[in-house]
Amino acid sequence: MKKALVACRAGMGSSLMLKIKVQEVINENNWDLELEHSSLDGVTGFSGDLIITLSDVASELEARNLPQAIVGINNIVDKKEIKDKLEPVVVK
Amino acid sequence: MRGEIVLSDTLIDKYVQVKVVAKDFEEAILKATKPLLDDGAVEQTYIDKIIDIYRNTGPYIVITEHVALPHAPSEFGANKLAIGLTILNEAVMSGHNTNDPVKFLFSLSSPDQNQHLESLSALVQLLAQSDFLEELETANSVEEVLNIVKAYEKG
Repeated sequence: MKKALVACRAGMGSSLMLKIKVQEVINENNWDLELEHSSLDGVTGFSGDLIITLSDVASELEARNLPQAIVGINNIVDKKEIKDKLEPVVVK
Repeated sequence: MRGEIVLSDTLIDKYVQVKVVAKDFEEAILKATKPLLDDGAVEQTYIDKIIDIYRNTGPYIVITEHVALPHAPSEFGANKLAIGLTILNEAVMSGHNTNDPVKFLFSLSSPDQNQHLESLSALVQLLAQSDFLEELETANSVEEVLNIVKAYEKG
């Protein structure tokens, strides 16, 4: 099972809403992916495979050269965007 | 949705405003969080932090097309669970690369990580209904806004 961290700056608003929609996409596609969520502070201690966040946070995380793949979402209710961006990373 | 906490349990009339005039995104955030400040749901420091995050890191609170969720980490002065809705008279630009312009601001305050989960879950389901925002845009009063929210919660 792969593990993903859904992160945002505060860890209590956008990341929770994003996690809800990502979980729906996971369920609809039967992906073997487990989700956690946190603020950006949680990124440092995260040992999983993937970090899912909002697009402008993603560009900041990419600059940190983390070991995980980073997926940035523009529109948190757009399940097609979420599926299209996660599929190449999750299904391989 | 039935039997669960719905958004209208948290979104009360004194936190809702329509036809609000703002010249830019910062002013929109200030006006959208004002009812929460006046009610003691948040401290001024909480609002300052929202503005600070926006100035320093950009419009990440703009979560979907035309919608912002002004919020900051709880420790900056979130006193109680509150969700507000401010609809602008004229939409403003936030600098987001896909979701501008912003017309709807759902101000959020939650003192802990879990209390607001169900309200947020309800909000995200409303936002996922494509005509919910179009309907909200036609509202002329707080009462109309609350009625639209309740109608969409019923599905």
